[in-house]
Amino acid sequence: MFSEQAAPLAQGLLAPPSAEPPTFPRVPVSGYSDCSQPFQLGERGFSRQYAHIYAVRLAGMRPGLERRARSRWGNDIALRKLSELQAGERCCVVGTLFKSMQLQPSILQEISEEHNLVPQPPLPKYIQPSDELMLEDELQRIKLEGAIDVQRLVTGTILAVYGCEQDDGKFLVEDLCFADLPPALPWNGPSSDRFVLLASGLGLGSVSGEALLSTQLLVDVVTGQLGAEGEQSCAAHITRVILAGNLLSQNTQSRDTINKAKYLTKKTQAASVEAVKMLDEILLQLCTSVPVDVMPGEFDPTNYTLPQQPLHRCMLPLASAYATLRLVTNPYQASLDGVRFLGTSGQNISDIFKYSSMDDYLEILEWTLLAGHISPTAPDTLGCYPFYKSDPFILTECPHVYFCGNAPHFQSKLLQGKEGQRVLLVTVPDFSATQTACLVNLRDLTCQPITFSGFGADSED
Amino acid sequence: MADELYLENIDEFVTDQNRVVTYKWLSFTLGVHVNQAKQMLYDYVERKRKENSGAQLHVTYLVAGNLLQNGHVCHKVAVVREDKLEAVKSRLSSLASVHVYSIQKALLKDSSPLYNTDYDIVKTNLQHCSKFSAIRCAAAVARPPPEAPPAPPPGAQGQREPGASTANGHGPAAARAPPQQRGIAGMFAARAAPRDTPRDGRAEPRDAPGVSAASSKPPTKNSIMNNFFGKAAMNKLKANSVPEQPKEEKEAVKPSVAVAEPESSPSSVAEKPGKKAESAGIQQKDKKSKTKRADRSDEEEERDPENVQKRRRRIKQLQSDSSDDEDVPPSPTPEEERAPSPAPAPAPKAELEPAPTEVPAAGRKRKRKRVLKSKMFIDEEEGCMVTEKVYESESCTDSEDEFCKPKAPAPHKQPLLPTRRDPKEEKKNLKKGAAPANRANKQVSIMGFFQKK
Repeated sequence: MFSEQAAPLAQGLLAPPSAEPPTFPRVPVSGYSDCSQPFQLGERGFSRQYAHIYAVRLAGMRPGLERRARSRWGNDIALRKLSELQAGERCCVVGTLFKSMQLQPSILQEISEEHNLVPQPPLPKYIQPSDELMLEDELQRIKLEGAIDVQRLVTGTILAVYGCEQDDGKFLVEDLCFADLPPALPWNGPSSDRFVLLASGLGLGSVSGEALLSTQLLVDVVTGQLGAEGEQSCAAHITRVILAGNLLSQNTQSRDTINKAKYLTKKTQAASVEAVKMLDEILLQLCTSVPVDVMPGEFDPTNYTLPQQPLHRCMLPLASAYATLRLVTNPYQASLDGVRFLGTSGQNISDIFKYSSMDDYLEILEWTLLAGHISPTAPDTLGCYPFYKSDPFILTECPHVYFCGNAPHFQSKLLQGKEGQRVLLVTVPDFSATQTACLVNLRDLTCQPITFSGFGADSED
Repeated sequence: MADELYLENIDEFVTDQNRVVTYKWLSFTLGVHVNQAKQMLYDYVERKRKENSGAQLHVTYLVAGNLLQNGHVCHKVAVVREDKLEAVKSRLSSLASVHVYSIQKALLKDSSPLYNTDYDIVKTNLQHCSKFSAIRCAAAVARPPPEAPPAPPPGAQGQREPGASTANGHGPAAARAPPQQRGIAGMFAARAAPRDTPRDGRAEPRDAPGVSAASSKPPTKNSIMNNFFGKAAMNKLKANSVPEQPKEEKEAVKPSVAVAEPESSPSSVAEKPGKKAESAGIQQKDKKSKTKRADRSDEEEERDPENVQKRRRRIKQLQSDSSDDEDVPPSPTPEEERAPSPAPAPAPKAELEPAPTEVPAAGRKRKRKRVLKSKMFIDEEEGCMVTEKVYESESCTDSEDEFCKPKAPAPHKQPLLPTRRDPKEEKKNLKKGAAPANRANKQVSIMGFFQKK
């Protein structure tokens, strides 16, 4: 655990000043490599339709799914395309799921005058018992029935179903399988304790300042200012800090300039300007002491569609002067000390949460890993860049640490795969709400939450 | 003793200055390691309490340790008041650290004064915020400078191409600010030193926030008028600002006169920023005027010949219209005027013809519009004002179309206009002629009556 060896020296600083106090060197960075090139977009063109991304997704995942289907249901099963289906024949079909939901927000319906609809307010979940599942492949689609959990699945998942076509044209499902965990990566982890701090949802620029002291305490612990000597020496083993999105609060997203009259908003500054300045100062304090990777999130000043591009360094003039600051994409993939990290700022998980009956962020995180795709609901309900050559969200290698940011609370689980994969799943909580961050120990793939608190007028633990 | 010094300091901070003394604040203020600061605070508290048990001193502590929460072992770091210290410590399964966080005289209701104190002291020491920390990071070095290219040079480069600079409309503003003063100084230099940046500022087809490098009186007057009139009137103004420019530039040619100009420039400079909130078209025209002005002082030859050409034609028109000059005298006179002008003028004139055609094409952001305008001028022979509807091509630069049409009414007016062939006088006439003509052309309201006298 993080500071077990700190216990003996815990009360050491409750004493008169002693001789020159020790300073601990930060454990050096060894073996960092950024693997998120597929998520970095160069020249972008949005004139393409989104059908291409589904086509490449299916084409990319089909071979793996056919292999899984054979290993699960026997080598001699019939793999058919939808156009080759014959009524009554038991076979296996690989295709893309589409869930038609009545409550799914549809811009076409909203602006349609004949329906005269008032725009729907955002709901926490859009699922309904009357939702239906269809399986689509390159040419056709067919409705699915049977042993399939309609509520749980979401649009865009690639899966293989085993069953037969009915006389009424629907496909009766007997069994289904997903792509399952991708092949494992070799393990080169460190032999001594090395920690990575995962935090998300700093939420700067919000109206309330409760989380500010906690943010300052977080920075102080990591930079070694806080704590007794034992704790400081443990903190020196933190090799990296990853900020997983939502550095700015939702409050900075005010759209006054669009809604209000020009004369009212002429000289006002966007709320995000102050927030970014505060972020710059916090990052500067961190960067002088530890390498930091900054991922953008839903409310950060970067593009909206996935993959989100890194924040521009001109916004962070003080901090970007240091080589320890790395501005990275969302999703982010990197190899730290031989341990492969893959994670997002949480938009993919929260989008699946809205359209599926799954409630637990950790469960959804695990499900995306088993489905072999980081964000199946993109581009249907989550904005996505219109890829056409290949879908970079398909999981081809199994990471060692798979995280998502901005979860409601902290959860972690070590998943063991059938082929020797070992994945630590971490849902990083929203710091502005929970004042909790995560410390991942690279040596044994364990994770510990770290909570900060001040005291208020009514404080009670 | 050196040891006692910090005690006195802390005593002074807490008691006399009534501060909230956090360990971080003390560390930066006394320049000591954070751990030493924490120990100093503890020492002070102990001694003070030993001396005077009723001391008005409130202490907050930092407690850190492991806690079993929701099924996992959570590491908790908390700032607690002294009275809650033992309670919190007992709840932890294992204690990782305890130390004094801050000392203050008053009882704190919540932790925001602690945060504020830390924030302030870090803000004032941002550059070396990890100096007294217990952890040193070898990797935290500043990036080498070439990785962070400065903005102005690429911005200035970008402005050279007329079309390429619109994207960074705000970028080169910094580069433009110094050139403004240099542009005014450029008048003195009489184009001796090429001034790229003022020209670059004008190369921007669009907004030049407060580019007053070559501001002169007519644009100023135009600006005054702009406040009264809308864009439609400004279109007329533009035609008149152009004729006024040539006079200005002729004056600039004469260094003695040029002295007077810059003096007017600062005043117009002062007014220029005030008039910034004008339509883009107006800014365009002003810029064009300044273009003509500062053209003398920089090397943009493509503009120079075009302006010179326009100047020549403009002067002809004005002279013929307003000062009752004969046909022959006006024509040699502009050439006379130009004779004393420095060498670059004839050379650009030679390039006059090809240049104007290429200039409009070279990345003008504004298209040419043909606008029906009313031109008014005084016909002194008949003692009346003549209004003429003329189609003019309007764009960033004055087009040649304008020149052709006034020539038509001009010839028959020329013999009737009295001759005054003194260069200075002519200039004055031009000024006067231009000024009333200016007013007259703008005269969609009653202001024209007041200027004419």
